[in-house]
Amino acid sequence: MQLTIENLTVKYGAEIALQINKPLQLSEGDRVGIIGSNGAGKTTLIKSILGLINYQGIIKTDLSPDKMATHMQFNEYTDTMPCKYIMEAILETKITKNPKLKELITYFEFENCLRKKYSKLSGGQKQRFTIIMVMMQEAPLTFYDEVTSGLDFETRQKLMEKLINWYAGKKSSLCIVSHYYEELEQMANKILILDKGKVIDYGGKEQLFQKYCGRAVIVFETSPEHELLVKNYKKLASPEHLIALEVKDEAEELALTRLLLSNDINYRRSSNDIEIMYSNAKKIYYQEEVNHEL
Amino acid sequence: MNCRGKRTRVSPSFILFEFRNITGNPYVHIFGIGMPVLMTVVIAKVMALNLSDESVLSTVVTGIFLGMGAMIPLATILMGYAATYSQELEKGIPQRMELFGISQTMTIIHRIISELIFQICAFAIYFIVGFFILRIQPPMVSGLICYIICIGVLAVISFMLAHAIALFCKKFAIVYCISMMLYFCIMIASGMMGINYEMLPSSVQAISKLLPTTYITKDFADIWLGKEYNFMPMLQAYLFVGTFSGIILFFCLKRNGRKIA
Repeated sequence: MQLTIENLTVKYGAEIALQINKPLQLSEGDRVGIIGSNGAGKTTLIKSILGLINYQGIIKTDLSPDKMATHMQFNEYTDTMPCKYIMEAILETKITKNPKLKELITYFEFENCLRKKYSKLSGGQKQRFTIIMVMMQEAPLTFYDEVTSGLDFETRQKLMEKLINWYAGKKSSLCIVSHYYEELEQMANKILILDKGKVIDYGGKEQLFQKYCGRAVIVFETSPEHELLVKNYKKLASPEHLIALEVKDEAEELALTRLLLSNDINYRRSSNDIEIMYSNAKKIYYQEEVNHEL
Repeated sequence: MNCRGKRTRVSPSFILFEFRNITGNPYVHIFGIGMPVLMTVVIAKVMALNLSDESVLSTVVTGIFLGMGAMIPLATILMGYAATYSQELEKGIPQRMELFGISQTMTIIHRIISELIFQICAFAIYFIVGFFILRIQPPMVSGLICYIICIGVLAVISFMLAHAIALFCKKFAIVYCISMMLYFCIMIASGMMGINYEMLPSSVQAISKLLPTTYITKDFADIWLGKEYNFMPMLQAYLFVGTFSGIILFFCLKRNGRKIA
């Protein structure tokens, strides 16, 4: 066990920003994807773990704060000097004398940015600057809070690719907050779903997918004709522009895909679609809450 | 795992980083060095027009020069550092540094050292002007040591006050307003703005007596030249302002500390 959260409540004034009743556990090597819409409590959770905000409840960990590395959503540095000096001061090293740091700088293609001031860097360069320093910490637990937010598609892809490759085969635990679910499909092995400060569910990625979506899902665009065509299949909750269907077994999947192909409908098959899983987890959670109240 | 861990010792590279941080702010050079030098030269030259006795003039100019020197820590630290630090707080830079294992305490220690190094540089320039342009009187060794100690302690007190104000208010606009007001009030009450301590109303004099800068402005020429001097009121003023600044800094640090178990 690296971290356990029990009965956690965080309030901003009178408003409850985060409430975790059931214990949440994070073990060594876990890669937890934290998802939820804006205001769900994702950053609040990270800040609580890091001790940056007041909270009630228990956060038990065998890691001291300096054993946790963090890439916050917004990272700012002094603008009175070039990035090189900031990096060397924070990491207490000289770039020229540190092969590991040199490797990371090269890996993230940051060489040409070292002489620039932080405010002169582009969004992607700013993210890479913090990532390099966070990675240099080699912490047992690292938080990445919306590391790719605000980046264009290509930069985002490239950055994620580098992060995935870097952490492949490493023991470190990661907590990754992201609105881009395909990133978590690649990086996370556990998912924590938050909504309006509540825990909707927490567990293994596959386990949660099977719980809410079954064996696999087939997703395609919404239209009245499409709706009519697949009216006999079990529909899952999905974003408005999509139809998501649960396929229980191979036979059902074959039948459905044949039907879609024969009607020339483009579809996508997935057994780890976090977006569909998230929509269904939320739907079931609130349904159960209503049932409980009744 | 090879986690770097929390920084627990003073590091020369971090002092250099903080020094770069100070010198990277152009306003510090303008208001911290340029202004005191200019004001001292102007006031001394005006004095020279009204005083014909060379030896009296030299003593008066030396007194003005030493008194105006107190402007340097007040402008660069009390006003300049408070403004810079509040901007950093608005951007979340101190928190970011803390997440890299650089605690508030270590930051304060590194910053005090680098601010003191900056004071040495600023005073070196100030004294070059003093000796070569204003022809101030050379000090007795005891006078010089006293001046170094007084300015050094004033710089540390200014730092504690500036850090506390910024931590308490956090917003640049408010911090800048408060530190600017404090700066001018201290200068007026200490007799640096053309009205001597003796000419101030008794109610203001009561406040002036509590400020170390008052004694630097009105009495330091005597100490500089090795004359007999009763240090007790000055010492009491230092103790009062130092204790006050230390207490509010302590509470502000406690209020803003990390809440990790």
